[in-house]
Amino acid sequence: MPMEVGFIVGAAVGAVLVLIGAFKLMWRVAEPNEALIISGSKHKLEGLEEGMGFRIVTGRGTLVTPGMQAVRKLSLDLNQTELHVDCVTHQGIPLKVRGVVIFKVGDDFVSIANAARRFLDQQKLMAERVHTVFAGHLRAIVGGLTVEDMIRDREKLTGQARAACGTEMEKLGLIVDSLQIHEIEDPTGYIKNLSAPHLAAVRRDARIAQAEADRLATEAEQLAFGRMAEATRDSEILKAGYQAEQDKANAKARQAGPLADAAARQEVVVQETRVAELEAQRREQQLQADVRKPADAKAYEKRTLAEAERDARISAAEAKATETRSAGEAEAAATQAKGLAKAEANRAQGLAEADAIKARAAALAENQEAVVAQQLAEKWPEIVQAGASAFGNVDNMVVLNGADGVADMLAKALTMGGTGLGLARQLLASMNQNGQGANGTSALNGVAAPPSQKVPVEEK
Amino acid sequence: MDDTSMVGLMGRVTGTVGPGLVGEVIVRVRGGAEHFLAYAASGSERIERGTMVTVVEYLPPRTVYVSAMYGS
Repeated sequence: MPMEVGFIVGAAVGAVLVLIGAFKLMWRVAEPNEALIISGSKHKLEGLEEGMGFRIVTGRGTLVTPGMQAVRKLSLDLNQTELHVDCVTHQGIPLKVRGVVIFKVGDDFVSIANAARRFLDQQKLMAERVHTVFAGHLRAIVGGLTVEDMIRDREKLTGQARAACGTEMEKLGLIVDSLQIHEIEDPTGYIKNLSAPHLAAVRRDARIAQAEADRLATEAEQLAFGRMAEATRDSEILKAGYQAEQDKANAKARQAGPLADAAARQEVVVQETRVAELEAQRREQQLQADVRKPADAKAYEKRTLAEAERDARISAAEAKATETRSAGEAEAAATQAKGLAKAEANRAQGLAEADAIKARAAALAENQEAVVAQQLAEKWPEIVQAGASAFGNVDNMVVLNGADGVADMLAKALTMGGTGLGLARQLLASMNQNGQGANGTSALNGVAAPPSQKVPVEEK
Repeated sequence: MDDTSMVGLMGRVTGTVGPGLVGEVIVRVRGGAEHFLAYAASGSERIERGTMVTVVEYLPPRTVYVSAMYGS
């Protein structure tokens, strides 16, 4: 009995398990990221027109008859494919572009059906196919753009991408979520050059900013240095001032002792000087009393005596003068008388001589030579005297050729007298020719004339 | 999930719609938001990004014709 029950229960459990297994086989559930493509039997089509021939189930479970229907899964996940393409931009600049396309199968049934028809067995190869399609399209996209657009204008890029391949991808049942250009290789250096002005401007601005900052920093620094130096100077000045005061005070303190000494000494010296002065005064007065007064007295005595003597002498001299004058007057009177007498005598003599000369002139008219010779012979001693008198006034005579020289000179002087004889002859001759007035012409022979003129007059 | 359900939906332009351009609108549909290629319903209209639009016509699989919602 229990055996039977156990069997029945076991059979039931088995049946249930079998049933569950069968259901498991028949019931398929689509996950959110996949679509079930069921084909094989005429089945209720959900909103799709006739002729599609398969059923699409997304997001729910469905009953599939094993053996009668085939169930395939189509992934709706995102895919991506890398692109490496050589392109030419709108401006004709060659570029190597690396980009990425992110795409998926569209979520509507039309897209799923299109994709299922194309890719169901080649889901692994989908990326490759898309790459092939996009490599061509990317050229078109880049060809519609400039380099600047590509770098900066994402909107234009996506617009161009849609225009170039939007409908194309519709055919494949794919939608492009994103087309991105990762890297642009630029063999011509266009992009670099494009950036150069901006780079330069930025560098310039950076340098300017740097320089400005440096300047400000330096200014601040220098200002700070200046302040520091100022503070240092001020403090040094103050220090020096204090030091000076200190030194001054010290010096004063040091000098105080000697100064006091000096003051004391000065006092002493002043007093001593005073004493000396007083002594000098005393001595002077003493001298006045001892020496000067007696000397004055003596001098007075002498002076008085001298004056008396002088008066006496004056009186004596006056007396003598009076005496001498009286004598002189007497003598003068005598001499006058004598002179008058003598003049009278001379006049008489002159008259006599005139007569004699007259007589002589008469004689002379008869025999000139004899008279002159006689006259010269008479006066010869006076002539010689006159010649010698030239040497009479000479105090010191140096004669270079000795005693002979002196004799020579005397001889010459006497010869001058001799020449006087010839001269006198000539005079007389001229007197004879011109009569009187011979005295006027004598000036012509002035050198020799004086001895002959002076000699006859000087007769006493 | 039939075709007609798209028509009348509101959408936002994410890529300028206009003559000579392939635009893009994003539309709330099937519990999510999907983007569709968009063309202007009236040929010469130009609809800038960010403008709200109404789907006038749906052309499967991924194309819609739109017109600006609040006038133009």
